[in-house]
Amino acid sequence: MFFHNFKYAFKTLIKDRMLLFWTFAFPLILGTFFQMAFSNIENSETFQVIPIAIVDNDAFHNHTFLKEAFQEFGKEESKNQLFAIKYTTKEEAEKLLNKKEIDGFLWIEENPKIMVNANGINETILKYVVEEILESEKIVKNVVSFEAAKYITEQTSDEEIYKIMAEVGKNVLKMQQENNPTIKDETSANMSYTMIEFYTLIAMTCLYGGILGMVSINHHLPNMSSNGKRICISPTPKGKLIFSSVLSSYIVQLFGLALLFLYTIFVLKVDYGSHLSFLILLSFLGSLAGLSLGIFIASVFKVNENTKIGIMISITMFWCFLSGMMGITMKYIVDTKLPILNKINPANCITDGFYSLYYYTTYDRFFYNCIRLVVFSILLLFIAIIYLRRQKYDHI
Amino acid sequence: MKNCIEVKNLVKEYKNVRAVDDLTFEVHEGEILGLLGPNGSGKTTTINCILSLLKFSKGKIKIFGKNMEPNAYDIKKDIGVVFQEVAVFEELNVYDNIDYFCGLYIKDKTKRKVYIKEAINLVGLENYQKFLPKQLSGGLLRRLNIACGIAHKPKLIFLDEPTVAVDPQSRNNILDGIKKLKEDGATIVYTTHYMEEVEILCDRIIILDKGRVLASGTTDELKKLANIEEKVTIEGVEISSTILEEIKQFKNVDEILYKDNILFITYKKGKNNLSELMDFLKTKKVVYNKIFSERPTLNDVFLELTGKELRD
Repeated sequence: MFFHNFKYAFKTLIKDRMLLFWTFAFPLILGTFFQMAFSNIENSETFQVIPIAIVDNDAFHNHTFLKEAFQEFGKEESKNQLFAIKYTTKEEAEKLLNKKEIDGFLWIEENPKIMVNANGINETILKYVVEEILESEKIVKNVVSFEAAKYITEQTSDEEIYKIMAEVGKNVLKMQQENNPTIKDETSANMSYTMIEFYTLIAMTCLYGGILGMVSINHHLPNMSSNGKRICISPTPKGKLIFSSVLSSYIVQLFGLALLFLYTIFVLKVDYGSHLSFLILLSFLGSLAGLSLGIFIASVFKVNENTKIGIMISITMFWCFLSGMMGITMKYIVDTKLPILNKINPANCITDGFYSLYYYTTYDRFFYNCIRLVVFSILLLFIAIIYLRRQKYDHI
Repeated sequence: MKNCIEVKNLVKEYKNVRAVDDLTFEVHEGEILGLLGPNGSGKTTTINCILSLLKFSKGKIKIFGKNMEPNAYDIKKDIGVVFQEVAVFEELNVYDNIDYFCGLYIKDKTKRKVYIKEAINLVGLENYQKFLPKQLSGGLLRRLNIACGIAHKPKLIFLDEPTVAVDPQSRNNILDGIKKLKEDGATIVYTTHYMEEVEILCDRIIILDKGRVLASGTTDELKKLANIEEKVTIEGVEISSTILEEIKQFKNVDEILYKDNILFITYKKGKNNLSELMDFLKTKKVVYNKIFSERPTLNDVFLELTGKELRD
């Protein structure tokens, strides 16, 4: 009887077009929109190498600091490449600037000078870089002089002064390199703006699966459908029927989730990084929370099926909104102003669990979110069971 | 005769309305009992209470001699219900729908296959087994609804207006199927608004109104309850108001109605009413196309008992 009901509950769910749309197609459509919308934003924000020219004269070659810095910033195929540099004469540089083939050029006579034609970001970057190099040069020179002065007396020969200056200079440069903070991103592209949206999308899909649970319960309620009446007068215990139907809903929901993962990974080329197994675990628990929510709404609210679906979608969208679906700022605002709201928000538990995988080196916060989802699910299921057991109908 | 259902002093109240008012009746094993009543008379509410789908305020209900409760699974396994609304899954085809509902009663797959085939044959859906409900006509859908309710061969069947909105061909098929179920030994509780169906099918009839039994008995017993003896209809007649007044004064005439050249005369009792009338018309030289006399029908009894005013 259990498998008989399970088989037909499964068959009914996967043939229901409305359900297929909300649980299977809608997340895929939304994911495609996210990819189209946000990947363009990210591409537009990607740094482009700035085309510049440097007047190739003796003054430039003698200016060790500028020369070495621009050699570093101009290295092709390097991650640090900032500029595409053409070494040329001053006249040629002016021509290139007029033709807008370059954004500016560096020209050293007595002092370094920058020639630009506009006041854009690229021109500002060029000015800023040159000023920074010159400033650093000053600092290094001052530190070297100060440090070297400790070792130089009136008796120190010119040859020894040269050696001391060279040694101090080396040490200062070494110190500067060691103290220079570096940011190492171990997660590659996993926490981009688009990824945040995808994590919320997964959370939404998990919770939308609750519609499946809700429909399953409605099939067994005599006040919701004629089928419910027919099933209710059958000699099969209600608990057995409901459990098998809910199980089939959960499996259909997991199919929907698997489809979303496959679609985003293989079609939209989303990179979930090295934590995919944890993502899947959290999605399973998120789906359980969604299912419980659906069962809860179906059991507790005595309204028609369309109204119940409306309630389910509204709650889900609201929770996703609070957890940052329409902008991560909302999550931050709720976290700071009303943190309890996000603690009981299953959409936030799911997304927060995802973020925690990339922001923290331990899994404490991840498992904390997992536990919150389990508690949330158990609580809603418990209330739903109490309602279902006590339900007696005055009207059908 | 053994009772299949016993309903004693059943009361079902909604806030300020008493939908079923101290209702007592029995259904005998192997009979078809017709439950008649205008809209809102409490027929469906009574069935829902008997099936434990609704909680009721007072009373006792026994089926097969046992108290009926929501978890009385040993009673439920022998009950089949065909609801007024079609109760099938839109996503499942004809065969799967019957298999699903039959499977809630019959575990054995081989036995179930045989039962499903028999149910499909009974309602004449052999050529539609792979059709989805939305692909079926209204009549075919009603037949599927019946097949889903009776495929498990229940001993007691509730048929709640199973022929609503179906064409005459489908209706005949359904009525034949119900007779076959009775022949196979099922006890049937049948509700409908179609009097001719009740006259054809039912062994006994209960007329309900406002949740109470107004009358019960066989068709002939109920017809005797009617206050009228005979109805005479004269078609294609032109008649003056003076003559109409004279007819009204006849000894046994209860009511007359003249409309569109048709005259309806209702007699309370008496004999030779028709010949007396024809003689009178002859002396008055009134011509007509057709004249005929009828005995009261179940419909007349029903209208007399429940009143002629429109119901919600």
